[in-house]
Amino acid sequence: MRSQYARRVQVLAGAMLLIALGIVVQLTRIQNSPEAAVFRQQAENYAYEWKTFYPNRGEIYDRNGRLLAGQKTVYEIGVDLNTVTDPHAIAFAVSRELGLNYDNLMNVIQNPPEGISYLVLADFVDAQKALNLQELKRALQEQAGTSGLGGLTGLQFKAHPQRSYPENALASNILGFVNREGKGYFGIEENYDNLLAGNPVTVLIPTDPNKAYEIPRVPDGTTMILTINRDLQAAAEDILDNALLEYGAQDGTIVIMNPQNGELLAMAVSRRMDLNNFWNYGTVYNNATEFNPVISKTYEPGSVLKILTMAAALDTNTVTPNTTYLDTGSVLIGGVTIQNWDRNPWGIQNMIGCLQHSLNVCMVNLSTQMGATNFYNYMDAFGLGHLTGVDLAGESAGRLKVPGDADWYPVDLGTNSFGQGVAVTPIQMMAAVSAVANDGRMVTPHVLYAMVRDGRQYDVPAQFSGSPISTQTADTLTEMLAVSLESESSLALVPGYRVAGKTGTAQIPVNGFYDGTQTNASFIGWGPVDDPQFMIYVWLERPTTSPWGSETAAPVFSEMAQKTVILLDIPPDFIRQQIASQ
Amino acid sequence: MNIPNINLIHAYRIAPWRIQRQWIGNALLLVVILAMVAALYLNVTSRTAIAGREIQDLMNAIAISQQASSDLQTQLASLTSSVAFETRARELGFRPIQPEDLEYLIVPGYVAPQPLNLSSNTAPQLSALTIPPEYNQSLLDWLDERISSRRIQ
Repeated sequence: MRSQYARRVQVLAGAMLLIALGIVVQLTRIQNSPEAAVFRQQAENYAYEWKTFYPNRGEIYDRNGRLLAGQKTVYEIGVDLNTVTDPHAIAFAVSRELGLNYDNLMNVIQNPPEGISYLVLADFVDAQKALNLQELKRALQEQAGTSGLGGLTGLQFKAHPQRSYPENALASNILGFVNREGKGYFGIEENYDNLLAGNPVTVLIPTDPNKAYEIPRVPDGTTMILTINRDLQAAAEDILDNALLEYGAQDGTIVIMNPQNGELLAMAVSRRMDLNNFWNYGTVYNNATEFNPVISKTYEPGSVLKILTMAAALDTNTVTPNTTYLDTGSVLIGGVTIQNWDRNPWGIQNMIGCLQHSLNVCMVNLSTQMGATNFYNYMDAFGLGHLTGVDLAGESAGRLKVPGDADWYPVDLGTNSFGQGVAVTPIQMMAAVSAVANDGRMVTPHVLYAMVRDGRQYDVPAQFSGSPISTQTADTLTEMLAVSLESESSLALVPGYRVAGKTGTAQIPVNGFYDGTQTNASFIGWGPVDDPQFMIYVWLERPTTSPWGSETAAPVFSEMAQKTVILLDIPPDFIRQQIASQ
Repeated sequence: MNIPNINLIHAYRIAPWRIQRQWIGNALLLVVILAMVAALYLNVTSRTAIAGREIQDLMNAIAISQQASSDLQTQLASLTSSVAFETRARELGFRPIQPEDLEYLIVPGYVAPQPLNLSSNTAPQLSALTIPPEYNQSLLDWLDERISSRRIQ
């Protein structure tokens, strides 16, 4: 009996062993079959995917921490075609909330492109509208209960950031804008696009959510702090808008810079756009130079350039402030007669009178006395015809014709000396004249105060682009310009503060001839004279109430300067002298 | 001297099930060891999976928080924009200050406000690409790595 039992057990064990062996053999066979290799390859294809992590674009602040460009959340709204239960409900809800065409939505949901399972219905949807749709979806799901599916099942929402400009049109010419593809255009956004955008990181991650994967470190784009003072920028834009109305000017700019370090404090232009609606660019501007004429638009500056001619004449010892000459009202150069602005002789004048009355004849005498080589060497050293290096996209270099150029004529030596026949940008004039205000050292204008990355702030040091004139020349000329303003009781004077500056009235060439009725009125000035903390340039294009810079741009300078000293906390001269004497 | 061996052989002959029991015991021991290894593997795998899920959740939470923070910051900036401030100030009866309204006082030790400094005192974020293999490597991966390294040696 026992032996029979033992045999049965042995047979059973043997059978089970055979079955187990069969299973192992079959497993091994399946694992190594050609089909298994195909499945393994398919699994590997879907086991991992490349994913790109985009950093948040860096923010832009003004010098006092006011946000000028940040991010806001918008939504991509799409449908998961595999889970859609009611296309009509989705098309109706989306069309009603987002104002899209119902028939188009229905058509695209019911006839999607082949091979896709997710369809984008709308992107960059405002957060509030997306929230309304989300709430509707939730309500319909609750209505359907736990067993059923809501009418908006399959509607999906993906949040992502979008550039936002809280100040809307303020400083739009400085900031530039970012399109929906994340590319910066104009201004800071274009010039520092790579730094602001940061570096996207692409990594291979497992599709199995149960697998831990390495978290890529995606540092945000660099945050920028500008030299711009938001309140001063707002005031400059306000004053400019009023000036355009008051003087009937076509366009205009006001630029404020610290002449000691080149920090641009404000840069107002007349044409501005709401950066949150950047797609209106084409309706606001006719061409790219209109976006920021301060750096892009060249023009003949007129008499403000006399500052540079006088600086060259003083620096070459051609004249001193007390040098006199007999003004006959006209002078012949290169076969062309040059006249004063009023076509009248001014008799015996010294160099202060020359500046005070803005005499063209005087300037022609100076340029011819110092010679073309000297004159153009100085103009070149002042940066005319060269980029200033301002850190904004789209700067123009202007044009300074020099002897040897095909289109240079001897008369140009005379006309260039008082600002005709030479093309500059306002920022070039600021940079050039900064040498006079800053003891002979010319600054490089810039709008970037500091960069912040990984929690560390890197301040941008002031840069200087040469010393075209000596300190003594700069101080002498500043004094001459201050005295000339005071002597003529200029409308540019600022009560309580001593300022230096010069008006400019330049005729505009139309079809090769100067139009006597259309002018560029300008004024460049700085103060306080003993410690310059602001330099202001005002340019009004084609003012209609008066063609003269002394009657249009000069009072705008004064108004702007009075606002500037308040906003920058610059006490009047006598208060500063009291502080200095203590 | 041979008597004990004869006795032992005799004992097995009269109780052959002792040898079977020994085999069964060994087999059971192997099964228990395999079960323990499997349980350990399951435990480690499940903990890794949970950690992976938590990491994904935390990453989502961080992204949502950052977006919310950016939104709030932008909203605050809109509410305190130049135009909004000026409008509210005028509604409250304020007017722009004029030079003649100003009175300057000399305050000993006064330091003028300095431009913005956004430096953070916290250390910069360390790279997260430093998850040790123990946290994302399965037991089989570990065995495979060991065998591969042995082969290379």
